Amino acid sequence: MSTLLLCVDKLEVVYQRAITAVQGITLSAREGQIVGVLGTNGAGKSTLLRAISGFHGIDDARVTEGSIVFKGRRIENSEPHAIAQTGIVLVPERDKVFPNLTVAENLAVPVAPKLAGSERRRRETQVMQFFPKLGALRNRTAGLLSGGERQMLAIATALVCRVELLLVDELSLGLAPVVVDDLMARLMQIKRELGITIVLVEQSAAVALAVADYSYVLENGRIVLDGDKARLASHADIQEFYLGNANGGQRRSYRDVKQYRRSRRWYG
Amino acid sequence: MQLAVNITVLAAIYALIACGYVLVYRVSRVLNLAHGELMMLGAYLLLMTATQFSSHWLAALTAAVLLSLSTGVLVYVFLMRKMTGEMVLAAVLTTVALGILLRGAMVLIWSAQQFYPAQPLQIANVAIALPGGARISLCAALLVLTTALVYGALLTFLRFGRWGVRMRAAGQNPLLAAQRGINLHAIYALAWGLSTLTGALAGMLIALDAGLNQTMAIIGLKAFPAALVGGLDSLAGALAGALIVAAAEILLINYVDPLLSEVVPFLVLIAMLIVRPWGLFGTREELDRV
Amino acid sequence: MSRQPRASGYFRTGYAQDLKLVQTRAERASLALLGAVLLAFPFLASPFLLDLANQVFLASIGALALMLLTGYAGQISLGHAGLMAAGAFTVGILFRETQAPFWITLPAAAAVGAVLGVVFGLPSLRLRGLYLAVSTLALHFLVVYLGGEYEAKRGFSTGILIDPPVLAGMAITSGHAWYGILGTAAVATLLLCLNLLRSGTGRAWAAVRANETVAAALGIGVAGHKLLAFVISSALTALAGALFAYHRGFVSVEAFSLFLSIQYVAMIIIGGMGSLLGAILGAVFVTLFPYGIEVALRALPGAQRYAGTLFAVNYAAFGFVMILFLVLEPLGLVGIWRRVQTYFLLWPFKHRPLAGRRR
Repeated sequence: MSTLLLCVDKLEVVYQRAITAVQGITLSAREGQIVGVLGTNGAGKSTLLRAISGFHGIDDARVTEGSIVFKGRRIENSEPHAIAQTGIVLVPERDKVFPNLTVAENLAVPVAPKLAGSERRRRETQVMQFFPKLGALRNRTAGLLSGGERQMLAIATALVCRVELLLVDELSLGLAPVVVDDLMARLMQIKRELGITIVLVEQSAAVALAVADYSYVLENGRIVLDGDKARLASHADIQEFYLGNANGGQRRSYRDVKQYRRSRRWYG
Repeated sequence: MQLAVNITVLAAIYALIACGYVLVYRVSRVLNLAHGELMMLGAYLLLMTATQFSSHWLAALTAAVLLSLSTGVLVYVFLMRKMTGEMVLAAVLTTVALGILLRGAMVLIWSAQQFYPAQPLQIANVAIALPGGARISLCAALLVLTTALVYGALLTFLRFGRWGVRMRAAGQNPLLAAQRGINLHAIYALAWGLSTLTGALAGMLIALDAGLNQTMAIIGLKAFPAALVGGLDSLAGALAGALIVAAAEILLINYVDPLLSEVVPFLVLIAMLIVRPWGLFGTREELDRV
Repeated sequence: MSRQPRASGYFRTGYAQDLKLVQTRAERASLALLGAVLLAFPFLASPFLLDLANQVFLASIGALALMLLTGYAGQISLGHAGLMAAGAFTVGILFRETQAPFWITLPAAAAVGAVLGVVFGLPSLRLRGLYLAVSTLALHFLVVYLGGEYEAKRGFSTGILIDPPVLAGMAITSGHAWYGILGTAAVATLLLCLNLLRSGTGRAWAAVRANETVAAALGIGVAGHKLLAFVISSALTALAGALFAYHRGFVSVEAFSLFLSIQYVAMIIIGGMGSLLGAILGAVFVTLFPYGIEVALRALPGAQRYAGTLFAVNYAAFGFVMILFLVLEPLGLVGIWRRVQTYFLLWPFKHRPLAGRRR
């Protein structure tokens, strides 16, 4: 078994010293794994990613309990730039590129310490090979890119920073399924070639379950279910509430739909 | 012809000061209303170093420039850093308060007298005749040259320098910049340092040209409309704004009423705010983000 | 204006009770005591103290007007001194040119203020935040320039002298008479503000300040209410300027520098944003501050050295105190006052339940 890269233990995050967003989150990612985090709106997925990648002064949020350990070092409540420099990079849900900078300038922004100029250029060309389309758009202002191109650029900029753990927030949000499939395929290729670890946060369970080696389900700020691909995919509750097909994948007639929803039965 | 020279010199003064407003605003969305005072402080620092290194004008100037750079950094580290995350108004009022504090302190330290830092440095401010019968003093010519150099350097830095690009990135989206490994505090401190440095340079050159007393901070405030007319987040805009404001001021003083000198920049400012509040080259969304 | 109950619990059963100004017996008693002190003050105080009190009253009117605009309607103004100048110059010009008595000049000043309020307020329909502050700053310079122009063109280069107002055949010059007039004016302003704020207008302002789009969606005329805030605030400010002119007997542009505007903004910041009590506390603090500095300096050994540069010490100390408040106590004096009050009200407990967080 590969070594443990990220280990989140009993994490609790409180906003504005009053609002508890997530509680008792325990999660781990092994080197080279893809970890999926599923959940509906407001379940605490983005908060979890923000906590791992560091809070900013204006967020007025703190990790009040538990720990986040990355490569054996505790990083909870560190400054975001310090965390980014250790190799954890977040691709946020929105505002993921600098709209007034060109594609090339966006790629120049990330700070990668201990990376010499030549090494960095090599890295940039390597990243460009994953996304050949970006090469053609080098001098285009990032604000003028389409959603899919933006997502590519965001992932590309993340890779330039010598990333070891890539956190991706809602890769599929607002993109056409075709574009999502393409991006996913590229992400898998990147993962294989660079040997990075990925934490994938998704509302769209189908996307996440298809690629994740191990997944967690978040609800109301707590982890309610976790397991590997096979276990989750066959779990009845996941089938009904996240994938929308009960009765073993057969379509149900609306006449059979009960007036009330089956209550969820989580048992870890 | 002389009018054109006067406009150029005044525009250079305004532009050199205005780029300080733009630098800080662009990176941290804070309007630094203490800029005039910081600029005056730079001039007084030159006065101080001039008496220390008399006759070595280069040493004195370098020392004063370095001192003002560190002043700007210190202002950020000890004061403005505490205001990150507060309301924008609170941050702006903090700079106002800083300005008042500095003004009082400068009177206490250097008194309200008129000084001529050019004297201990033994710089003769000779007038140079230009073709066309106009004249320009040596220091004023130096000022125009400095402004051109500073703008050239800043534009190159922001356009091509790696840290310049990062500075622009931090101004657009501080959170994302931090997540890409940029130390925001370092960027803000750098912006404050550079802004104070350019302001102080303007202050020093004005002091060399025309002497130094407590009214200098007013010039700093009058340069602010130049920054806003061009668009608070655009350096090229500040240059254009400075030209417009300076031309309006010189021409109105010359042909209408000398008393207008104090208000012309603000008249231009009001006109601009009515027609195009985000300035000539500014980004339009700015208005809603403030 | 939602207010926290100051009784030991929440006993209100209707909206009328919610709007009542004086709520508990203890409040009524302390108000009566305050009234008695204010009435007795002129008979006990020295002329110097009386003059200080008059200055505080004047500053309170201006600060209340600014608080209405900035603290409640959320519109920033750095042009307060310009409006005061407008009021003062209206009095000065009318008196010089037409010998108009005060019962003409004061309403005229208020009217000029109201008109200027529209002028100052028009940019607020397009601009927000910093840009609005800057536009009011520019207008301040414009008004002061016009005043200076008048002085220069009419040959009053040092300022305009104004005779004291005549009421029932008597010229009002004594500190006691001024105490009565200015005190009444300040109390009247306070009552006006209180009543405005507990009416629909006040609630509309609060909505506009919180979020203009939402306010508009709720059917509040955003533009109209913004302008109204500017008009009322400016009229009150101009009135304060006019009273200032009569009180001083003298109008000159030097009195209305940018520093005065900053002082008024400092009053509402130091006092505490969004509170009328804060405006008054801030006015008291800022008005008495230079005198406090002077006393403190005299107590120091070797004070003579600073005698010539007193204004500079004043400036520096004022800036320093303002920074202290902004950085350490953004809620201002009212914040401190409320914390003390809450401490005693809640003792032995420390925190109020979260639901009733006071603004």
